[in-house]
Amino acid sequence: MKFFTDIWRSIFRGESLSTDKGKSELVFLNVWLHIHPAKVKKEHMRFKHTFYLGFITFFLFVILVTTGIALMCYYRPSTSQAYQDMKDLQFVVFLGPYLRAMHRWAAHGMVVCVFLHMCRVFYTGSYKRPRQFNWVVGVLLLLLTLGLSFTGYLLPWDQLAFWAITVGTNIGSYAPLVGGQLRELLLGGHSVGEGALLRFYVLHVAVLPSIVILLTIVHFWRVRKDGGLSRPIWKLKGRQPEQELVTIGAPAQPALRATAVSTSKTYGLMEVVTGKPIFETIAPDEEDDAVFAHPYAFFREAIALMATVTTIMATSLFFRAPLEELANPAKTPNPAKAPWYFLGLQELVSHSAFIGGVVAPALMVVALLAIPYFDRNPSRRPSDRKWAIGLFTVFVAANIALIIVGTFFRGPGWAFVPPWVHVVTGAE
Amino acid sequence: MATLFSGVSVSLGAVVRYLVPSVYYEPPQSFKIGNPADFAYGAPSFLAEEKIFVFRDREKGFAVASAVCTHLGCTVAHFQSDQKFHCPCHGSVFAADGSVQHGPAPKPLQWFEVTMARDGQLRVDKEKAVPSSYRLMV
Repeated sequence: MKFFTDIWRSIFRGESLSTDKGKSELVFLNVWLHIHPAKVKKEHMRFKHTFYLGFITFFLFVILVTTGIALMCYYRPSTSQAYQDMKDLQFVVFLGPYLRAMHRWAAHGMVVCVFLHMCRVFYTGSYKRPRQFNWVVGVLLLLLTLGLSFTGYLLPWDQLAFWAITVGTNIGSYAPLVGGQLRELLLGGHSVGEGALLRFYVLHVAVLPSIVILLTIVHFWRVRKDGGLSRPIWKLKGRQPEQELVTIGAPAQPALRATAVSTSKTYGLMEVVTGKPIFETIAPDEEDDAVFAHPYAFFREAIALMATVTTIMATSLFFRAPLEELANPAKTPNPAKAPWYFLGLQELVSHSAFIGGVVAPALMVVALLAIPYFDRNPSRRPSDRKWAIGLFTVFVAANIALIIVGTFFRGPGWAFVPPWVHVVTGAE
Repeated sequence: MATLFSGVSVSLGAVVRYLVPSVYYEPPQSFKIGNPADFAYGAPSFLAEEKIFVFRDREKGFAVASAVCTHLGCTVAHFQSDQKFHCPCHGSVFAADGSVQHGPAPKPLQWFEVTMARDGQLRVDKEKAVPSSYRLMV
């Protein structure tokens, strides 16, 4: 018995979880659970402040990796075999259609959640000093999510796949100077074919996920190091200025201020570090607001995980991933539509490929990346940020409106057709 | 610092060069499409694999137009009713001579050189663009 106890203790080295020391050790002796400090503020866990969108996005990525690896067991990235393999997955492989549907809906969900997460971070002002760089990392993760989706779209090698990528890569070729070469590099040839399928597969299963994992690690690390999870603005309301959060090391507040500490606790000096810290928050009355990450934070995040997995599994039970007919380079579907989250872009492109496909998206990305550096207003209160919130809302609304128009109001030949009008396409 | 910069630049250049295929296993751009008698007068023949329209006119002879929309590469359809090319992707419309009449297409449809091969078959070269007035008399 001692033998097994020794093995158990070699893996789980902390004390019993019934003690405060055990709860703390569970966190700081564990590489995964160290995502939180041993104690977290109660308001960090408020659902209405973050909606757990960051965690849900991460959980969706985990589902995508898991189901993606399962699908890889049956998929061969070759134009002569890919569609056949998709048919096998759809009709022959045990759990094949279910896993494929999970992969598809999790991918859609990740695009939605990463976008909503970005909106939440903006509206709560959580990108402000010292979190500017983490906002940039987040925007890069949004672009990578779209890249993963784009590369994954070609893999079924059906009509939707072929034409979405044909249109998408042709948009890229409008980029000045290097557009054509960039397209050739991406496709491994002059058109969407064998080379393109293999390269998109490599990007989809190896290159882009690796970068996403690396940036996600940086993203989580920066959340911890930049002051922890975002906190509701209401927490700051009504406080006297001297009681508000003190930023040590920030240019505006260079000095460390002495603060009262709880007399009911024992403090120890852990380490002495010379120089100014990059960032730290201190509030005298916050000690009483903290609870142990285990079980309070982990329990809530476990519920978010279960809710995410359950939602994707349930959706996949009722809605299967579509598979159109085999890719036919000679016959363009009418209308040929990109995935819904690229339909806003396609709507812009329908007016001008260069302006809509290159200039507008490039400006949008640069604007998103630059937000935390141009917005110099230190306040997170919505009443102090009317212009910023207004501009961002216009940006979000315009994107959603374009997607709605592209999805529901465009018919054959990209003509404007309201969704309530039934369209019969000619056979010519 | 300069050495490091040079090293990184050379390495990146090597990576990009590696990704550019040295050989393209793609269909040739110059190919035979059959004998003149295989093509009817009037409505153009659409060759799906080659993505071209072959026109045959009693007085003017043969002409070959690209079926690839100059906007984003979709395959256009030729409507006999209005004698125009229509793109299903974003609604570009091209006149009978390939010029843009409507929509976001930035350039006219391409016309390719068509010649007679020694064995009597028609040969199309997609790397040789010609004016829309170009015709091969047979």
